Amino acid sequence: MIPRRLAPAAALLLACAGTATMGASTGLPDWSGQWENVGATPDASGGFNQSLDQVLKGMEWNPPTKPEVQARVDKVDAMERKRMDAIDRLGQDPGGAVRACTFGYPLLMLESPLMFEVLTTPKETALIFSSREIRHVYTDGRPHTPADELWATPWGDSIGHWEGQTLVIDTIAVKSPFVSESEGIPILAFGSVEDELTVAILSSQARFVERIRMLDKDHLEDRITIIDPTNLTAPWHMIRTYERVTHVNRMVYEDCEGEDRNPIVNGHFTLAPPPPDTPPSPPSLPSPPTPQSPTPR
Amino acid sequence: MTRALRYTVIAIAAMLAASSAPAHHSFAMFDQTKIVTLQGTVKDFRWTNPHVFIQLLVKNESGGEDEWSIEMTSPEHLVRVGWKPGTLKSGDPVTLNIHPMHDGAKGGQYVSGTGPSGPLIGTPTPGQGQSK
Repeated sequence: MIPRRLAPAAALLLACAGTATMGASTGLPDWSGQWENVGATPDASGGFNQSLDQVLKGMEWNPPTKPEVQARVDKVDAMERKRMDAIDRLGQDPGGAVRACTFGYPLLMLESPLMFEVLTTPKETALIFSSREIRHVYTDGRPHTPADELWATPWGDSIGHWEGQTLVIDTIAVKSPFVSESEGIPILAFGSVEDELTVAILSSQARFVERIRMLDKDHLEDRITIIDPTNLTAPWHMIRTYERVTHVNRMVYEDCEGEDRNPIVNGHFTLAPPPPDTPPSPPSLPSPPTPQSPTPR
Repeated sequence: MTRALRYTVIAIAAMLAASSAPAHHSFAMFDQTKIVTLQGTVKDFRWTNPHVFIQLLVKNESGGEDEWSIEMTSPEHLVRVGWKPGTLKSGDPVTLNIHPMHDGAKGGQYVSGTGPSGPLIGTPTPGQGQSK
């Protein structure tokens, strides 16, 4: 019998244990572990290990933009190049930066350098990213959030269902965190590679359909289709592959705030000295608690 | 600038163009066209978010020591390529290849290096480093 004072902790442990084995007990695939986007594997200095050619090839960036929308894309493209030059060549801050770790959907799936986990349960699958962003995909048969309760967010509103071992996700109500106020419309700027800027402008009516499956024990695949009749001439298809991070067995969190030492001074990025009042890192670990017998009540 | 790194910087530029965007990755203060090699002793290996730093003590021409701040990427990224909080310790003798600061300040961006146990995981250097 579990003593009453330990009951909440024991219940939590049992719940976690149940979650950990959920995949095997329910017939759902076990996608536990850590995953990373094959196109965005980092190196130690802040870049990526993959060659530029590989990154470009993998991005499949060819949105079927309507001609009347292309002018707006070109405008954003020109603005991006100007800002890029300010940062890259002049080391200047073009302004508008907010230190936050929000990538939002679909950037999280398309080109994020963040590690993530996938927890599959019968009623919900959660995709948990190192930025602490979470995609909740409800698979209990519910419809999307009712219109009078729905509002656009960087992660959208996702429901899904299983077709065998494939998770099919339908996402609406996405509001990119990368919104150009000058355009006054939702913009998804997925990043850019050298002189090949990759900008897409989607309407607020855009719908995202994904089919995620395991290719082999170390690879997941996400086939993404973006449907936006307002801004696109046809559905836009992309495929992303994620590989298992084999030598990491737990999540490591990103924190854009933390010990930030890159303040912007007089419009330029700088490097600040370490805080003088903090102990050297890593700190020593506390001693483990001494086991005690539970006190009967 | 390496092509891979340029990808990072430009991706950040795209993010910065937004009204609210992640901005913790900016290496604009470093001169990506130069590599400087530093020999010194680790004062502190600061395993912190958003970026990890190596505080390095380097002997100067007057016989004293200068403290350099060498910026790396995030702990999350470093763990994935094989670094750990215990990879370096205070007192470790190291040789580091860095991209120096544009303004000449004693700081830089980590590229690669050698620690007490051999090569440190990093980005391959083109070999044009100059000793300091």
